[in-house]
Amino acid sequence: MSGADMPRAAEEREVADTAPVARIPLQRFGATYWIALSASAAGVVLLGVTVATLLRFGTGVWGTNVPHVWGFDLINYVWWIGIANAASLLAVVLVLRRHGLRTAVNRFAEAAALAAVVAAGLYPILHLGRPWLFFWVFPYPATYQVWPQFRSTLIWDFWGITAHVLVTGLFWYIGLIPDLATMRDRAARQGRLVVARLYGVFALGWRGSVCHWSRHQAAYRLVAALLLPLLLAAQTVVALEFATTLVPDWHQARLPLHVVVTGLPSGLGLVLALAAMLRRTLGLHAFIDAGDMDLLSRLTAAASLASLWIYAEGLLFGLVLEDAVAREAMLVRVTGTYAAYYWAGLLLTAILPQLLWSRRIGLSTATAVPLGLCAAAGAWFDRYSIVVAGIERTNLPVARPLYVPSDAEWMLLLGTGGLFVLLLLLFARLVPVVSMYETRHEEAESEAA
Amino acid sequence: MSGSHPGRREILRLSAASLALAAAGCDEPTEFGQPLYAPPRGEVQDAATYATVLDLQGLGRGMLVRTRAGHAVKVDGNALHPASLGATDVFAEAAVLSLHDPARARRLREGGWTRAPAALDATLAAARAELAARNGAGLHVVTGPIASPTTARLLATLLAAWPGARWQQYDPLAEDAALAGAELAFGTPVATWPDLARAQVVLALGADPLGPGPAQLHLARNWALARAEGRGRGVLPSLIVAEASPTLSGAKADRHILLHPREIEPFGRAVAAALGVPGLQGAASHPEAEAVAAALRRAGPAAVMLAGRAEAPGLHALAHAVNAALGSEVVHHAAPALARPAPMGPAALRPLVQAMANGAATHVLLLGVNPVYDVPAELGFAPALARVPFSLHAGLYPDETARLCTWQVPLSHELESWGDSRAFDGTAAIRQPATRPLVGAARTVDELLAALLGAEERALPLVQATWREAWGAAFEEGWRAALEAGVIPGSAAPRLHLPLRPGWDPGPARQSQAGLVAVFTPDPCTLDGRFAENAWLQELPRPLTKIAWGNAVLLAPSTAAEYGMSAGDEVVIERAGRRVLAPVWPVPWHAPGCITLPLGGGRIASTEVGLGRGLDAQILRDPDTPWTGEHVTMAPTGRHARVIASQLERDFDGPAAARIVAPGEGFAPPAPAPSLYPDWKYEGHAWGMAIDLDTCIGCNACVVACQSENNIPVVGPEQMAMGRRMHWLRVDIYRHGVSAIFQPVPCMHCEKAPCEVVCPVNATVHDHEGLNVMVYPRCIGTRTCSNNCPYKVRRFNWYDYARDETPVKVRNPDVPIRPRGVMEKCTYCQHRIAAARSEARMEDRPIRDGEVETACQRACPTRAIVFGDVNDPDTAVARAKRAERNYALLGELDTRPRTTYLARVQAGR
Amino acid sequence: MTQPAGMIAEFADAEEMLAALRAARKAGWRRLDAYAPYPVPEAAELLAVRGWPVAAITVAAGLAGAVLQYGTQYYLNVVDYPINVGGRPLHAWPVFLPATYIVAVLWAAIAALVGMLVLNRLPRLHHPVFAAPGFDRASEDRFFLCLFVDEPGFDAAHAEHLLRGFDALRISPVPAA
Repeated sequence: MSGADMPRAAEEREVADTAPVARIPLQRFGATYWIALSASAAGVVLLGVTVATLLRFGTGVWGTNVPHVWGFDLINYVWWIGIANAASLLAVVLVLRRHGLRTAVNRFAEAAALAAVVAAGLYPILHLGRPWLFFWVFPYPATYQVWPQFRSTLIWDFWGITAHVLVTGLFWYIGLIPDLATMRDRAARQGRLVVARLYGVFALGWRGSVCHWSRHQAAYRLVAALLLPLLLAAQTVVALEFATTLVPDWHQARLPLHVVVTGLPSGLGLVLALAAMLRRTLGLHAFIDAGDMDLLSRLTAAASLASLWIYAEGLLFGLVLEDAVAREAMLVRVTGTYAAYYWAGLLLTAILPQLLWSRRIGLSTATAVPLGLCAAAGAWFDRYSIVVAGIERTNLPVARPLYVPSDAEWMLLLGTGGLFVLLLLLFARLVPVVSMYETRHEEAESEAA
Repeated sequence: MSGSHPGRREILRLSAASLALAAAGCDEPTEFGQPLYAPPRGEVQDAATYATVLDLQGLGRGMLVRTRAGHAVKVDGNALHPASLGATDVFAEAAVLSLHDPARARRLREGGWTRAPAALDATLAAARAELAARNGAGLHVVTGPIASPTTARLLATLLAAWPGARWQQYDPLAEDAALAGAELAFGTPVATWPDLARAQVVLALGADPLGPGPAQLHLARNWALARAEGRGRGVLPSLIVAEASPTLSGAKADRHILLHPREIEPFGRAVAAALGVPGLQGAASHPEAEAVAAALRRAGPAAVMLAGRAEAPGLHALAHAVNAALGSEVVHHAAPALARPAPMGPAALRPLVQAMANGAATHVLLLGVNPVYDVPAELGFAPALARVPFSLHAGLYPDETARLCTWQVPLSHELESWGDSRAFDGTAAIRQPATRPLVGAARTVDELLAALLGAEERALPLVQATWREAWGAAFEEGWRAALEAGVIPGSAAPRLHLPLRPGWDPGPARQSQAGLVAVFTPDPCTLDGRFAENAWLQELPRPLTKIAWGNAVLLAPSTAAEYGMSAGDEVVIERAGRRVLAPVWPVPWHAPGCITLPLGGGRIASTEVGLGRGLDAQILRDPDTPWTGEHVTMAPTGRHARVIASQLERDFDGPAAARIVAPGEGFAPPAPAPSLYPDWKYEGHAWGMAIDLDTCIGCNACVVACQSENNIPVVGPEQMAMGRRMHWLRVDIYRHGVSAIFQPVPCMHCEKAPCEVVCPVNATVHDHEGLNVMVYPRCIGTRTCSNNCPYKVRRFNWYDYARDETPVKVRNPDVPIRPRGVMEKCTYCQHRIAAARSEARMEDRPIRDGEVETACQRACPTRAIVFGDVNDPDTAVARAKRAERNYALLGELDTRPRTTYLARVQAGR
Repeated sequence: MTQPAGMIAEFADAEEMLAALRAARKAGWRRLDAYAPYPVPEAAELLAVRGWPVAAITVAAGLAGAVLQYGTQYYLNVVDYPINVGGRPLHAWPVFLPATYIVAVLWAAIAALVGMLVLNRLPRLHHPVFAAPGFDRASEDRFFLCLFVDEPGFDAAHAEHLLRGFDALRISPVPAA
């Protein structure tokens, strides 16, 4: 037992130093952080006010009507889901392929996905005529002993969005457990016992047993593997809400594919923009290195290329090969009242991000951030075009009052934007933004190799 | 939130019916229920129906008023009355709303101060004393057209007692030219109408027999009968309409000739010349005249020519001459139903205006008229009225005229008062109140006249006195029978066979040959503004323009293009130094080179509902030619004005939805579409509907009937403009050439309803008889069903329309009102089916065909809508659906709609 | 001095820890555990721990979720409350599939976490090894091997002797809980 108290010093550092990452949540944050946090919190207050107005006066505060029964509610919903989807998809693929980029990008890609899916999740509730009865879609006999109507795409979507939130959350959390243990131990070492206890509770008593690691890795990869089809299913189910209707422009087998594919550049673009911003503001150049940024840029550009293909396919089928009514509906979408939204979507998701093939543009924060955000915005225009312009030509060629979003709808969009940013800022404040154990593991593996 | 298991509700409904028997004699509930979701339970509401009569332009239409617990709920047509034949028009349907309007004039006022009824009686007594001293000189009574025997009797008494008194009838919609034309042709005023049931060729020169008016229901029904008969024979009767401004008749015309207003008389003369009509003074030619004349000649006694209200007396006389030359047996002449057939248009008010201006008129009674608003400004009625020391206005609303009168008396609504009336053909009917008076201070015209005469009697004894005189000993029996039937049998004016005067033709009317011509027309919903306060009528899209909550200058698309204008561009219209600003609205069925100015807009003293609402065309009218304005100028202002339209002009081309076939032609039954799923079988009843586009005249009666029956809220102009109308039944219009096809679109009750499968909460499902039902308490308002409804018949409560609406106490207690955030739609009048089902069950028999009538079906003047059990091959609806021209709207989607359409039939296709 | 719960050795290197672990296994230690800041699959293999039971639980839960979801839909639509929705048959199987699929995945994912935790006997916020000196670095950059001495025939001295044979930075007793 002699000599047990003082450890012998190790000659060299055997394990990658992740302390800079672990230090972030435990250090003091500067004014920039607090300004950003206040701004996003103001957005959330705005969201609260908008929601209160909506509950008090009704869905009439929006610019919706018949046939445009859906407006920003569904546009934003599909958009946020698309972002969540693409960000998760990236994280999942990286984990399953054990790709090196995963250490750098995974954690905040998952966090962005989670924040986006929370923002998205508000819409199905708020868009209801009677939002306070949203729980009637839960599987229980709500009224007159009647259960939900399981044939409805909205019930599929209820399962889709529930599963999406839960499984994305699980994926993020399972990956986070060992890092929470690290935070716990560091906080304890600094003597911050309350913080240590908080991290400790969420770390579930993780002690790094190799047996635990083995099962943890199995579970993590299993959830990643499960998330992959789920993401496709969730996004597809959202698209099916449109595709299974009789609206000529929506009733297309290619719509789910279009929604999934055009969602990719939006989510990847957002992750790219976040990576560039985190790298710069939190000084994580070592963890998110130039190679990572380059790979991410090229991935976004590739997703954008896929979008270009899907747009081209849409135009070919929609304007040439479909039946007359669908052709007319597509023509109205690309040339009618809301044509600008279609072309803006095409430009921002499918054409502009092609610039990211250039290494120089992808590596510069000044170009990568706007291009990434453009890709995300482009998907919003695309959703606008689908939801609003897609219904400009209905089956009966009768009165089509136009849809103009109201202030309440813009406030709702801003509000959920604020919520998204707030969640991300809290994430940056509270948990390690880069997966520390993955970084250590990767270093160890690359040394071994 | 109330609600119960469906099974339990059924039992409650059945027990409610049996309770009704036991509860006879119980106290009537005094408060009217506003049930939410479900009929009130444990309480029996006293249901009764009263036969009564509603006037339009002084002529009655017999109606049945359904009441619940003493409240008038719904107006239906009286099948026994010749001016209804069981159908209703929009004005009759909307009467219950006016009756219950909280904005009605409620207080007796003198110069703005509320007065007790005794004060009015004292004032009238003083006036009586003053007038009696000078034999009535200085008293001017102005009423609308009077056909009521009682009012006529009282007026006759008054004029006999005071020879110096003057009675003037005034109606802004008066057809003085027709009267003058009859004088020219026969030397006596005659009421003329065609027997459309037997007419084979009808030439209408600017006339609108199918359009709104006191005989519309009669004429439309007979036209539909002739058409049905013609379809059966394979030879359609032909309605030829030559007109400038589009009308319902023009829309339904088999041959629609668009003529500039100045071309109509020459065209008539050309036809007459081609027919060789004797006594014709000035002939003219027109390329189509020969063919039209040939058609008339072929039909001979089954042909008739009609002239419209805007035409010169000479053309009316010419129509009589043509009918005489053809030996027309389908033209019907009779003594006018009006007590004093005399000119009653704006020009007829000139002597009164003069008397008021020079102080000769000391006592002016304006009873049920609003001349300050609707007399053309150039007559100077308002300033003259202001000089009259005693002026009394009786009206339903505190309108423009009331504001200028010393006394304002609330007028009793027809549904809450006693009276009598005559129909267009002279058939008399007793008006009885369907509800106790809702405005205590209100009086009827009869009561006011009696009070002036010193007989302080209420309306009932006044009416009874009239008929006691007529019937003598048989009064009691006759009275009871008249009240029950709603019509006095045998009171129609006998048919006259009058010889044509030789010098009937005054020669062609002098017309200027230059300048833009404006055609004034009554608004299809507010007429001359008299219904402007009625929110149902304001919100009702006008049949041909689909404009609601206002009006616009109508013109041909080519005319609009000449001026470089498109729909909604604002113009300034000027005539004789007076100008109005209004948006233009191109209508495909309009003649080029002229404009239509609808009356009835721009009210300046009205309720919140009626105020404003478009242009006031009355200002521009010429009192001497009130229906045509010469020397009009129109100039774009460069601004854009809002026009609230439920269907836009650019949508009018779409014959795929509303189909046309040649006589005897039809459609092959569609091949069944492939499906993964087997069909659902319906045992027992399977409700369905067939709507005949060939007979639908687009009159909108069904829309208002549905609104009245189903407690459909009014959303107001702002919501209407946003596309949030709530009408469960809408009437789409499509253009085909120069004619129009009206297509009423209720819920299709698809057997493979696309709306149902997407509802996440089972809020819209099928019942066992195939109804697509909405379960309001279960609806959470995802609106997905509306997205998936290809017919777009679902309506959403964006706001709490039903409860935010002005608290009008007119509610059908059988139909729940819908809260905010839920979807609603046509139910096929499910409550009527349920009522018929319970009744049949109580009597232990099946439901008979025709026992369930939907509100729209009941209202339809042409019986274009049939409803019933499609499982029973012997029902009317099953027969209609077997017709070859039966088709499903958007049938290619294979939604299997229970509502199907019978295509319009048009010869020469 | 009370008997410690075990002896723990701290290593700077995964290889050292693995060598010690191999030796301990060879010596017949059964109650032992290794700790690392990242997954060390070889160590788990030496301890005979595999990931597949987690996968088995996941798959089984997924299947159970699928069966339950489809069964629920079938039962509610066909047996419990048959109602005509859009003229579709009561058992409209194609539209029951998407939810079945999604719910299966949901069950599987939840079971993956729960299964992992149950097999790992987590959450367990207190464990004797946490009291070992310097153990906080197990979550950062140190590797530990702990030999538990609660079995007859294996005592602390024995353990210390075994651990001394390797390049441990420190060997310390784990205080009994």
